[in-house]
Amino acid sequence: MAHESHTKTLPASLNAPSFVDGWFSKSLVVGAIATVAALILAFLGQSQDGLGWEHFYRAWVLGLALTFGFAVGGLALLMVQYCSGGKWGLLLRRPLEAMSRTLPLIFVYFLVMGFFFTKKLFLWAKYPDAASTESALKGGLITELQAHCLNFKRPMLSPEMFWIVCLLCFAIWALYTWRLNKLGALRDTQPADTTPMWIKKLENISGPGLVVYALTMTAVIIYWVMSMDITWFSSVYGLLFLVGQGYQVLALSIIVAIALSKEEPFKTLLRQTEQHDMGKFLFAFVMLNIYLAFGQFLIIWSGNLPEEIPWYLDRIRGHWGIIITLDFIFHWLIPFSLLLSRDIKRNKKRIVRVCQWMIFAKAFDLFWLIEPNFKDAARNLHFSWGILEYAALPVAMTAFWFAYFSKQLKTRALVQTNDPHLAEILEPEHAHA
Amino acid sequence: MPPREGTYGLLAEFDTPSDLVRAAQKARHDGWRRMDCYTPYPVEEAAEAIGFHRNKVPLVTLIGGLIGLCAMFSLETWISTLAYPLNIGGRPTYSWPAFVVPAYEWTILWAGLSAAFGMLALNGLPSLYHPLFNAPNFRNGASNDKFFLCLEALDPKFDLVETKAYLKTLDAVSVVEVEY
Repeated sequence: MAHESHTKTLPASLNAPSFVDGWFSKSLVVGAIATVAALILAFLGQSQDGLGWEHFYRAWVLGLALTFGFAVGGLALLMVQYCSGGKWGLLLRRPLEAMSRTLPLIFVYFLVMGFFFTKKLFLWAKYPDAASTESALKGGLITELQAHCLNFKRPMLSPEMFWIVCLLCFAIWALYTWRLNKLGALRDTQPADTTPMWIKKLENISGPGLVVYALTMTAVIIYWVMSMDITWFSSVYGLLFLVGQGYQVLALSIIVAIALSKEEPFKTLLRQTEQHDMGKFLFAFVMLNIYLAFGQFLIIWSGNLPEEIPWYLDRIRGHWGIIITLDFIFHWLIPFSLLLSRDIKRNKKRIVRVCQWMIFAKAFDLFWLIEPNFKDAARNLHFSWGILEYAALPVAMTAFWFAYFSKQLKTRALVQTNDPHLAEILEPEHAHA
Repeated sequence: MPPREGTYGLLAEFDTPSDLVRAAQKARHDGWRRMDCYTPYPVEEAAEAIGFHRNKVPLVTLIGGLIGLCAMFSLETWISTLAYPLNIGGRPTYSWPAFVVPAYEWTILWAGLSAAFGMLALNGLPSLYHPLFNAPNFRNGASNDKFFLCLEALDPKFDLVETKAYLKTLDAVSVVEVEY
């Protein structure tokens, strides 16, 4: 049959379109404005209740956890797609590589927290030995339970171990980032007959890499977020963050892929089929996220033990019930209901709106996790200028992160050419089952 | 109802989904409405090409799911507060967190069953007879590696001779007449 072929041709230039430069400068502007706002809010809060800078430090942790989720979560999703294969993986590979290459900025954010904020945020940094814990207990600064936990958990929760573990984790992520990015670039310079070798090789690096990521990420999240409440423990905490990172990274990747599709090469490469697939994948993360979060709640609620339940009571009583209800609605109910719809998943504009909402919801969830750790806020949600810090500082940190990300996105072609999926993506959508 | 007799339609066979989609788009463009595509796997574009419209399955699924949710949540509430109230660790008898998991499971169960049975009901399945199975190439190929477009005799444009010639212009591998 003498029909013209439906197959599309690969665009001549595979580089990121020029509007990505606009992303860079726009996010720098947003970052600068938000930084100024954050500083003003800190001073306002300080004069209002003396907690302005405290809130600044706490909001810093939120921004750190969020951007860390994008960078190292991006590395994790990069490894997932090397293991799982699939055309969505080819589409997201270069954006995910660019996310993983932002690790230096996360390291800077971390160093700022590590050097300047830990004593304000963590009891284990404030009372690093048995003697100081004892005197704090005598002075009535901490409860007996906190003193006990401080002493019991000291082998892990101490300033020395904090630095050792965190630096080790950063070194491991840097190693994986460097290796995967280097091989990803090298792969494109080699002929097509090397493809099977590359698929196998990257899969073999990524598989163990995911296990290592899960362990290192859990360790770091225990130090950065969970240990703000020294008395609490939950074995699913790391997993919750792991799934949360998938949730936010995938949402961001979809936003980026669709934004890039305004011009070549993604205009040709991003088909509705793959967009739909990514939407379904996102839906899976929404489900898994609430499954773990509610599972943790249900188990602790059922047990109702005095060692565990205060963590939830701190986050439910004193008007925090409003926040946890909103968190449930924002974080699960809205994305779940919207992503059920096939039409929304296949509509570029609408799925981008859902993804933007999900990133906001993730930050909102982190707010609910972080703020009630502190005595002034636990079981006592009250408005202060400092609370607004959670809106300003993470926006600034994420904006600077995004500027860095868009710089990284420009450094490579947007799609891997040495990959059999590339030919498939250029075929018409009905060609494959 | 007396058994139907005569021609059901003309069945055109294609080797690739691209050819089928192209032919279906052309036929619809030329004013055909009573037609259908048959493929071994779902071909979204073929459905779009013949003017596939929305059906009620999503609505049936949603209603089924909500019924399941309400039914189980009410059942648990009724049992725990009225029928057989128990003091479990001093908790209130209406302890909704404990009700969530079964209520959710029933939502999924009912939504799934509603989707499956609603789909069958709206499809007209199971159907014991379909005229297209009279065509040997359909019997052998439709669930294997062939793609079919059937223009049905109910369409006002249908004419045995002209339609056959028309389908030949769409580059079909073969065109066969299908009896009821």
